[in-house]
Amino acid sequence: MAKQQISLTVNGDLYELLVSDQQTLLDIIRTEIGLTGTKRGCTTGACGVCTVHNADGEAVLSCLTHALEWDQESITTIEGLESDGELDAIQKAFVEYHALQCGFCTPGVVMSAKAVINKYPEPTEEQINAGMAGVLCRCTGHIKVKEAIRNTHKIRARDGVKGA
Amino acid sequence: MPDSRKGGEIRQVSRGVTTPDVDTAMPDPEIQQRQKAMELSAIGKRQPRLDGPEKVSGRSLFTDDVQLPGMLYGKILRSRHAHAKILKIDASKALALPGVKAFITGDDSEKVFANQYEPAISKGVTHYIGEEIAAIAAIDEVTAEQAIELIDVEYEPLPAVTDLRKALRPSAPRINPYHDGNVASHNIDNYGDPDQAFEEADLIFEDKLATHPTHNLYSEFHVVLVDWSFPDKLTMYTPTQSGYLFQKKLSEAFGLTDSQIRIVHLNTGGAFTGRGLLRPHHYIAALLSRKTRRPVKIFSAGDEEFLTCRAGGDNDYVVRTAITNDGVIKGFEIEGIMDCGAHAAGLSYLSAMAGNYQARLFKIKGLRFNRKCVITNQRPNFFHHGGMMTGLNAAIMQQLNRAAQQIGQDPIDMFLANAAEQGFTDIVGGTFASCGLKECLEKVRDRSGWKNKYGKLPPYHGIGVAIGSMASGVKGAFKHDTSAAMVKVAEDGIVTLYTGIPDMGQGTHTTMAIITAEVLGCDAEDIRLVAGDTETTPLDVGAFTQRGTFTTGNAVRIAATDARDQIAKVAAERLGVTPDQLVFRDRKIMVNSDRNRNMGFGEAAYACLHSREGRFVMGNGFYNSPLKYGTLAWSFGAQVAEVTVDPETGEVQLTRITVAHDLGRAINPLAVEGQIDGQIFSGMSQTLYEECETDNGQFLNPSRLEYKMPRTYEMPQVEYIIVESVDPYGPFGAKEVGEGPIVVTVGAIAAAVSNAVGAFMPEIPMSPWRVLRVIHQNGDGSGSD
Repeated sequence: MAKQQISLTVNGDLYELLVSDQQTLLDIIRTEIGLTGTKRGCTTGACGVCTVHNADGEAVLSCLTHALEWDQESITTIEGLESDGELDAIQKAFVEYHALQCGFCTPGVVMSAKAVINKYPEPTEEQINAGMAGVLCRCTGHIKVKEAIRNTHKIRARDGVKGA
Repeated sequence: MPDSRKGGEIRQVSRGVTTPDVDTAMPDPEIQQRQKAMELSAIGKRQPRLDGPEKVSGRSLFTDDVQLPGMLYGKILRSRHAHAKILKIDASKALALPGVKAFITGDDSEKVFANQYEPAISKGVTHYIGEEIAAIAAIDEVTAEQAIELIDVEYEPLPAVTDLRKALRPSAPRINPYHDGNVASHNIDNYGDPDQAFEEADLIFEDKLATHPTHNLYSEFHVVLVDWSFPDKLTMYTPTQSGYLFQKKLSEAFGLTDSQIRIVHLNTGGAFTGRGLLRPHHYIAALLSRKTRRPVKIFSAGDEEFLTCRAGGDNDYVVRTAITNDGVIKGFEIEGIMDCGAHAAGLSYLSAMAGNYQARLFKIKGLRFNRKCVITNQRPNFFHHGGMMTGLNAAIMQQLNRAAQQIGQDPIDMFLANAAEQGFTDIVGGTFASCGLKECLEKVRDRSGWKNKYGKLPPYHGIGVAIGSMASGVKGAFKHDTSAAMVKVAEDGIVTLYTGIPDMGQGTHTTMAIITAEVLGCDAEDIRLVAGDTETTPLDVGAFTQRGTFTTGNAVRIAATDARDQIAKVAAERLGVTPDQLVFRDRKIMVNSDRNRNMGFGEAAYACLHSREGRFVMGNGFYNSPLKYGTLAWSFGAQVAEVTVDPETGEVQLTRITVAHDLGRAINPLAVEGQIDGQIFSGMSQTLYEECETDNGQFLNPSRLEYKMPRTYEMPQVEYIIVESVDPYGPFGAKEVGEGPIVVTVGAIAAAVSNAVGAFMPEIPMSPWRVLRVIHQNGDGSGSD
């Protein structure tokens, strides 16, 4: 289990890390970097609570990918969505539309939703469904999650484009 | 310690009207009028969750996020056999692995029982695949996992029985020493006069329905962190529905006093009936921590999660309805055989509560419930969200929809003619001080367009109606059912509420803040919460039996009123009136007759402290239902489900659901909708999708990929109707909305599918292959005609 050094940028900060081939991206985000907003769930890619973004703002299941593959890469976690001390429009939408309850899946669901918004600022029903098919949330039954995603552009228009 | 109570003996009891300690169960028109006339400000607003910003930004701490200094990681060795003697456990190779700190077996936990009959670690014999037989603590998870792999176990397989029907055969192997004939309990409960009810009937309908094992499948996996480094203090971090119950159980198991146990429950990632009881992993983490004198965390990974949960099992029901030709429902008879799995834990108690469910809905003459809990070599079972009532309602509501059709009545008309109403005392002894059941039925009928649809749908389109009721808190587990609360008002007017009730997502903490704000005339945002720690919060029995809003809500109301009275005394002096002339509103304290005479709420709190008395405002309160046991306030609901069935594939699509729920008063309509959403999801999921498939005790689909639940695109159109009957005993008239809707959802969908295929659906979940089988065997797809 020889460890290798990688350089990884997380939410704009550069980390030099020694990682083994056993460690997933999720492992190092939570234990080496200490950002616990990204949750550990099924660790088999079925629940979506570990979702983060790659440099292109696309959703990545951090439990399914080796940390070693992320050398020289840049990722965003749930902690990186805020800007200038203000929640991103998608985060505000989740709060205002009651799109969260117990909150355990919420970071992963928000990151999945944000990936949809990154691609389609005013997504159609089909685009929301396709983008959110990988997350499980028993509390909300997805109903208000979809409502929040549909209304994010309104909040962005109301509050400006911080965190875009 | 388990007692030597034997199974096999039938306990038959007649249950009549219970006598309350005080006669408060009857509706008090005066209180109700006062509740109805209240001028409310914080209550009724669509209030976003107060913990929303923390939760959407990843700041909220859950148990797995907690790291303690010197923390070790525990892993559990689980049985590979459904039933076997354990001849030898050799851990020498595991213990030689660098980083392994402790190894324990049943020898280390002989006197520790996770539940009445369930050892924390089984010794000498194993009763199901996945049972705990040994555990390791190591410096990291990888080492602990490797060490588990290095343990050699020598088993001698024994005959196993994993089917509850076969477990009852005389030839079946005996599974544990406590239960003769593998019968954990057998009770026959009689309410009213069931024999007379069936004698008076013209028609008797009989159907059978089977349910299958489930998993509560909350987002947050089973996880526990225990620090028992010093013998006189055990601190446990874990998601739970009740810090109080966990404290009690641990103190009993380990011979500590309650106060030597501290339960920290931080945020709890969902519960759905699944986090009320301690499980073996809780005890194992404690035993490992005691042995190593270091904190130990155990996280259930992957398929382990499905073995650790205590959700629904295989249950078989026979339901009979006695009815007259003109649609008068006389009574019900229910037989239930329920799979406890390898160890009985609470199933019997909970089934007693479920069996009389139908007696609350209709003005019936009698109900008999014959219930038998069976021991098998399966994972121990409890119930999924909605308890046993979901399966029973799936059977009874299908049967009643079909009975109405057969006697030529509209099911909603038939329900309306038989439905319970305010002031009615049911044959179980519940008196409905508030009841909006008929209003719920009328509203779902009108909103869903029922009259234009029922009996007029094309083939394989179905519509069904169901009703339900739920207790807002049940007294019975202890002599008390107490929730306590404290309210502190700082001199800047910011209020801190101390409550022991866990928020597993249902939004109770925000609800309690709203109640506090209403009493004190503040905004919900002015209320800070201290919760989730038995050491800093007053006692609260916990979040189950839908007692949060009603019981804890009443305690919070009383505590806030105490604080208010303290402030009112000082404010009245300043404003030159008596305290009863004051109104608390808009962060002000005003003279009711002349609201321009007022002072700020913060100013008044400051004045209390900076007075000669030097009073720091602290309000205390507790609430315990005055009934000996049972329930003061019942919610009611009705739902209409609409489905289409694909006759080629058997797939069911829930297209629309109309929900009316009488919750007394909506403290926070936004959260009420959220509660209904989740229950539609889970109700739909239980009726159509969720099943732990097993083969001889082996789980075949133990992952979130294979255990099917609805995805985003499968959710139906939802219509919400909130009915506010304003209960005289609920805080500001409020009752529950945490479990009432799901039971009705299951009944309504079952009735709709049955309507679409023209046959009784004998199993849930109604997986496509089961639907196809019914279509091929019985159905003609002629819809409701």
